[in-house]
Amino acid sequence: MGSQSLDFAEFYRGARHECLRAVLVSVGDRDMAQELVDEAFARACASWQKVSQHPAPAAWVVRTALNENISRWRRRRREVAVPDPGKFADLPGADGTSGSAVDPRIMAALLGLPARQRQVVALRVFLDLDTERTAEVLGVSPSAVKAHLARAIGALRDDLVHIGKQESQS
Amino acid sequence: MNDDQLMTAVRESFADVRSATELDRIVSRSQVVRFRRSVAGVVAAVGATTAAGVAVAVSLAMPASLPAASLPVHGPLATSHPASSSGVRLAAWTVARQTDGNIKVTFREAADAGGLQRTLRADGVPASVTFTGHQNPACQPYTSRARQAFWPFGPTTGPLSGRSSFHHAQSAFTSPYALVIDPSALPAGAGLQIWVSGTPGAADNFQLNVNLVRASPQCTGS
Repeated sequence: MGSQSLDFAEFYRGARHECLRAVLVSVGDRDMAQELVDEAFARACASWQKVSQHPAPAAWVVRTALNENISRWRRRRREVAVPDPGKFADLPGADGTSGSAVDPRIMAALLGLPARQRQVVALRVFLDLDTERTAEVLGVSPSAVKAHLARAIGALRDDLVHIGKQESQS
Repeated sequence: MNDDQLMTAVRESFADVRSATELDRIVSRSQVVRFRRSVAGVVAAVGATTAAGVAVAVSLAMPASLPAASLPVHGPLATSHPASSSGVRLAAWTVARQTDGNIKVTFREAADAGGLQRTLRADGVPASVTFTGHQNPACQPYTSRARQAFWPFGPTTGPLSGRSSFHHAQSAFTSPYALVIDPSALPAGAGLQIWVSGTPGAADNFQLNVNLVRASPQCTGS
């Protein structure tokens, strides 16, 4: 294994979980997210000489995975449905009984956000990108990133506080 | 709960989400990506040449009318395989009958679809092969009440298998180079449709597809 391969191996081991989480937030389906991230990492490996020069290779992987999701939707001529947030909200809490690795209430709140807001949250929270880098990855302005993030945080807080109140009343 | 606390709570809620895919599998899959890109490049070149009204000449290593049973390995020479530059000319594809009766098709480039189609048919595999980016419009999906007939891939569940895994087996052939066909496992009245899809030149959206279709003179030749 050459040094180039070793570099990719190190990158993969360090970034694969974060990338999966970021894509999961965006697409809402664990299996689909895993498939998209695997494909994106395979492309990164195939073009590692170029991708390794990217200022944020993990962001490249996430962007590639999301683009692939759109491409598959176009090829199949049918919508890739985002799971109904209510489906997650109705599940038991994150105490191991739901079979989900993510608190279904938080997942439901995230899936209730518009797609762009979810993408901003994914990049800012899981990849820890700053506003400028997030804007570059998504192809929007920094001010738009700030606005999306502020709305997303507001919506998430409303949802999660609402859930907290319901729990305290019951 | 301030913004930082909220984001921390979201981040921590995903702590147990971990990728289960091993590095080896990603590296193996990257070879598929490279193969798809090489196919895309060839088809883009063919498309540009055809648009200019120039016939594409493909050198045949052996007469395509001879079945693989009597000719162990044959196929057209690659037009732009990297090995060509070193003086070694590999076939764009080869078809070889194995000792167990299976037929192994090895793809290197999407060239001479007609030759591959004739070769497979001569070996008793009803087949439609197109490398134009479009399916043969005469082909209809094969339907059967037997679920196995819908699933053409895998040594125990259908007539097709490859050297490595398929990430979207029902429609996408993603093995790096090899497709193995068990003619005896083809359902009655079924044939194979082999075609490339995606946008020529857009390598990441390009793929080689293998589907079960209804055998008919217009689609598979019989």
